[in-house]
Amino acid sequence: MSDLETVRRLARAALVSLELSRERIDDLNVYPVPDGDTGTNLTLTVRGVVEALDASTATDRPALVHEVTRAALMSARGNSGVILSQIVRGAAEVLGAADAVDSEVVARAFRGGSDEAYRAVRKPVEGTMLTVIRELAEAAETAPRTEPPDLLALLVERGEEAVERTPEQLDVLRDAGVVDAGGAGLVELVRGLAAAAAGEELAEPPTRRYEPLDHDAVHRELSRYRYCTTFVVEGDALDQGVLEAELERLGDSLLVVGDPTALKVHVHTDDPGAALTLGTAAGAIEGVEIADMHRQTEEREERLLAALPGGAARSGVVAVVAGEGNRRLFEDLGAERIVAGGQTMNPSTADLLSAVESVAADEVVLLPNNSNVLMAAEQAARVAGRQVEVVPTESIPAGLAALVAFHGERSAEENAAAMREALAGVVTGEVTIASRDASTDGVAIREGQYLAVLDGTIVASGAGFDDVARALFGRLLAEPRDVLTILRGEDAPPLNGLIDELTARHPELELDVHEGGQPHYHLLLSAE
Amino acid sequence: MDESGLTIPSELGRVTVSPGAIAQIVGRVAAECYGVVGMSLRSPGAARDRVTRLLPKGKPARGIVVRNVDGAIALDLYVVVAYGLNLAEVAATVRSQVAYEVERLTGLQVASVDVHIQDVKRTA
Repeated sequence: MSDLETVRRLARAALVSLELSRERIDDLNVYPVPDGDTGTNLTLTVRGVVEALDASTATDRPALVHEVTRAALMSARGNSGVILSQIVRGAAEVLGAADAVDSEVVARAFRGGSDEAYRAVRKPVEGTMLTVIRELAEAAETAPRTEPPDLLALLVERGEEAVERTPEQLDVLRDAGVVDAGGAGLVELVRGLAAAAAGEELAEPPTRRYEPLDHDAVHRELSRYRYCTTFVVEGDALDQGVLEAELERLGDSLLVVGDPTALKVHVHTDDPGAALTLGTAAGAIEGVEIADMHRQTEEREERLLAALPGGAARSGVVAVVAGEGNRRLFEDLGAERIVAGGQTMNPSTADLLSAVESVAADEVVLLPNNSNVLMAAEQAARVAGRQVEVVPTESIPAGLAALVAFHGERSAEENAAAMREALAGVVTGEVTIASRDASTDGVAIREGQYLAVLDGTIVASGAGFDDVARALFGRLLAEPRDVLTILRGEDAPPLNGLIDELTARHPELELDVHEGGQPHYHLLLSAE
Repeated sequence: MDESGLTIPSELGRVTVSPGAIAQIVGRVAAECYGVVGMSLRSPGAARDRVTRLLPKGKPARGIVVRNVDGAIALDLYVVVAYGLNLAEVAATVRSQVAYEVERLTGLQVASVDVHIQDVKRTA
């Protein structure tokens, strides 16, 4: 086997091993900044080396060393990736200069990697990846004479021990109850090398995960903005500077790269729409990706909480919700899983079941929030492998009212009882558009007219939105109410006038108005 | 933008943190950032005067400019990075690490951290 092939095999093995532990390592990451990206960064760095080797035609050792070192440098991602690139450089220089690779050379390679890594920092922090590479070098130097595969196997063990000690060396790790993420990643990398050196079969790197992984990495950067937005603008004479200046006002972590015919844009912003508008003004846009970074952070926190003994609540809520604003309301009130759906896009039993099964808590309360979803919800509850209670909420505001009564530390059954009781005191209404001519409940309706529904009964219809809404408010507030919750739909006209009227007419009423963003229903209301 | 201290509101009165104190914290964090082998003596132009005026001599606050922008901290760091490192990644790490630590240790908001790589050095 040529040197190139040997190095390719080793690098691929390191990549596979890292990829397998990527998520676990991400979850360990609290130092230097708890942004949960160490596993991803190390994986991307090694992936860059693997790709360079795949494309390489190096025939001699110096060329190979140069290519590996350069690839590690260029593809280094994040703090851990930068440190790894130095370790690779130091080790590659030793290996490149050696005639034959025996255990003594392997030990010198680890020492070279350690020295090179320490060289690039003024004040090394112990309890990190640096400590682990140094201890690996020491272990390799003091190991009994053996063949390289056996030495690497021994180093995996020593490395694991070194990683276990990191919380004693670095307070932030001890406080967080984790070991160092970079060090843990380094050991996984050595584990891959050891397996390859021992001739063990290794699966191909799972290529399918490359793209989302790459996407993740850019998005994990700390940002005060919510959405990571990337797209490509194509045109004839694109002005990078102008686009940059315009985008700069929208957010941070801005990156505009390319040439006058194609610019790649990356920006963290709360208003991805505005960024896209700037793009379309400059040229044709494509490859649009918008990622919710808050959600990514939340998902990681959930994984961490679920891993803690006693950290998970006794029961959790799965809710079927339409509209981005409504989704956030449910999440803020503690719903653990949201299944998108509603009137015209009913989730399947399988959708509900998979959401139910992914809840970290033991028991689940399921809120269908629509009468058309009720049957699927009950079906999912029957076939689920855990205790599931369906609270038969028929609208989104009813679901919200029920959710207020939910407490995670109670059982699903206790919660369901409390939530049903909360629902009993709630009246719900909605304003929508009639989909066909009809005469129901003594009201004649024409297709396209607005329709007011109170607890399932049509109470008003007409061509004017304000009139229909006003009629519904009148019926809802015929009895004295404390709170009126209004969820504004995505197609609803402005509500300012109506809300001013309500405030003037019912000064004692607490108005709770949200941008629900649901389709079809211009207004969803609940009064208690 | 001004050079006055940054104020943390509290029920019992105002707490003011001086730019010098913040610079001390920044200097310590920067020294531990991987890839940073030194702070640049010189920060260009107008910023230079401010650095020397604001900061105590001989402390690790060299090459650090602290500004108060509407009650949040704006930082400029003038650093020397080890040769052979991915500069963009080192700068990104310095930015996030400094912003994170300063917010954690002072409770003040960091509006921006601009990292200026003034030099690249081969280290023995």
